[in-house]
Amino acid sequence: MTFNPLRERGIPLDKQLRNWRELNVAPIDADHADPYTRCRIITMNGIEVESILFSHQLARHCPDLELKQQLARVRYIEAQQQKVVNWLLPGLASVLETTIAYEQVAVDLTAWVARMEPDEYLRQAYQFGVLEDFDHLYRYANLYEMIEHRKAEKIVDQLTEVMPGRPTIRHHRDPVDNVREPYDRSSAAPISKLHALTIMSAEQQTMNFYMNVGPTYMEPIARQLYQEIGLIEEEHVTHYESLVDPGESWWEMLLNHEYNECYLYHSFMETESDPKVKNIWELHLNMELEHLRLAAELFKKHDGRDPEQVCAPELPAPVTFEPNKAYLRELIATQIDYTTLGTGYVQDAHERFEKMQEALMGGEQPPSERVIEENRAKSGEDYRLETEGKHPVRDLRR
Amino acid sequence: MADGHTKPETMQETDVIELLLAQHGMIRNLFDEVEQAPADRRQEAFTRLVRLLAVHETAEEEIVHPFARAEIDGGEGVADDRLAEEREAKELLQHMDEAGTEDRDFTKNLLMLRAAVEAHARSEERYEFNKIIQHTTAAQRRAMGAGVKAAEAMAPTHPDPGTESASKNLLVGTPVAMMDRARDAIRQALGKRS
Repeated sequence: MTFNPLRERGIPLDKQLRNWRELNVAPIDADHADPYTRCRIITMNGIEVESILFSHQLARHCPDLELKQQLARVRYIEAQQQKVVNWLLPGLASVLETTIAYEQVAVDLTAWVARMEPDEYLRQAYQFGVLEDFDHLYRYANLYEMIEHRKAEKIVDQLTEVMPGRPTIRHHRDPVDNVREPYDRSSAAPISKLHALTIMSAEQQTMNFYMNVGPTYMEPIARQLYQEIGLIEEEHVTHYESLVDPGESWWEMLLNHEYNECYLYHSFMETESDPKVKNIWELHLNMELEHLRLAAELFKKHDGRDPEQVCAPELPAPVTFEPNKAYLRELIATQIDYTTLGTGYVQDAHERFEKMQEALMGGEQPPSERVIEENRAKSGEDYRLETEGKHPVRDLRR
Repeated sequence: MADGHTKPETMQETDVIELLLAQHGMIRNLFDEVEQAPADRRQEAFTRLVRLLAVHETAEEEIVHPFARAEIDGGEGVADDRLAEEREAKELLQHMDEAGTEDRDFTKNLLMLRAAVEAHARSEERYEFNKIIQHTTAAQRRAMGAGVKAAEAMAPTHPDPGTESASKNLLVGTPVAMMDRARDAIRQALGKRS
């Protein structure tokens, strides 16, 4: 069944405000919830945070009072949506558990997007990034075993494997090499624009999360690991945001943001296992349809084009959280030693890369290496969840 | 394949906070075990959970909360809040122990107990443990840890076959009886008169 969000009617904007009782959602169960329900919550929180911050940036560049007032009205509703979505997370979960869930999102969402992406250059960008998130999951899982004495399979279940990816120590590149070439807004497939926006938003929220929760830890190794991976999230946001064509007008960007929110709420409504959470996705989809309609009006008026010229005529196949184990193993086997040079990829550790490495390490092991050593000393061996057999790379086997 | 069970009695930690944090993880794992146990093994898993809870909560009552009360700014209120949570959980635990795992409300009660115990643990981590670390030296925390170790030795959660020594039977009876035994062991280890 096709669904064209530009032709659907949502809830009128003046009927969208929720009171305290409606905002006070019951959180999911920290011990029994479907891990992919938690992944969808974390993803949608990232999408809502981006929609709020984007709208603020737009407002700051907008001289027209009436327009700013309209942006403020929609943005307030987006802020309520963000509160409802993120407040589905349980207070019982520790920061580290939520962190592991963030990395599960980064792995299985980015892998899905890489699998579905039609453009070769963009696909390579996702394949490159996912191997790093995959390794972050392994590092945090070891920290979790070390300080909370629990195994990360309690969080990711058996859905996502936990083992070394591209080693975190090799993620620290010269910032110049983190900037990619953008897609071309006039020729890129609509799905490619949605993918770029989705992954950029998810990584940006991950960056925000780590930069804020990292110092709440007492354990020195935890504080240091959040610093290290937090800096890699800075690299990832640079990497993914540079994929988006900066030649899009503000109104085109707004349109793409609203369309993407419809796409993701619709996707998650179609694939959600928890009925209470599914109701929220459905409600928010019906709100977003109206936000999209308003953005389309602004686009027509200020950009002078028809939204159907830039948006997909129907929603693409739903973004689905599902295991990507074989796909990830294949990438690990073939791309583990990649790094970037300029806007492309190479397999050699080139001069600029080595220089950055030397300056940053200061002759010491980074926290991402020490966390593994310390957990080996404490637990006897590093923590892994290899459900599909031995690690594909011989050197990274135990 | 490594043994996935958690065995507090084999832990290397001696720092009181590390020990208690590790027990929080183990308690959660034991809840998983009870929930997933087939009917004929549920009682046995539940008994192990009760033992660890008895040891753990008693250690906190004897060591952590008094310290918080005496040394932390606002510690009186914080300790009172924790004790109120513990009282509630203990009443439920006592009731569940009497009713047994065959009770038709067992699953429902287990979920309630789990939610209460885990929220309590998280609150301790956030409002007490952080501050205790701030106010103590490593040596002090090791000294406090001795009491936890002594109590822990009484409650092996997964005794190795063949070595089910006398220690296994040290904690028997009702949860209250277990807590009394644990309290004696802790006070003895810390050189207090019971």
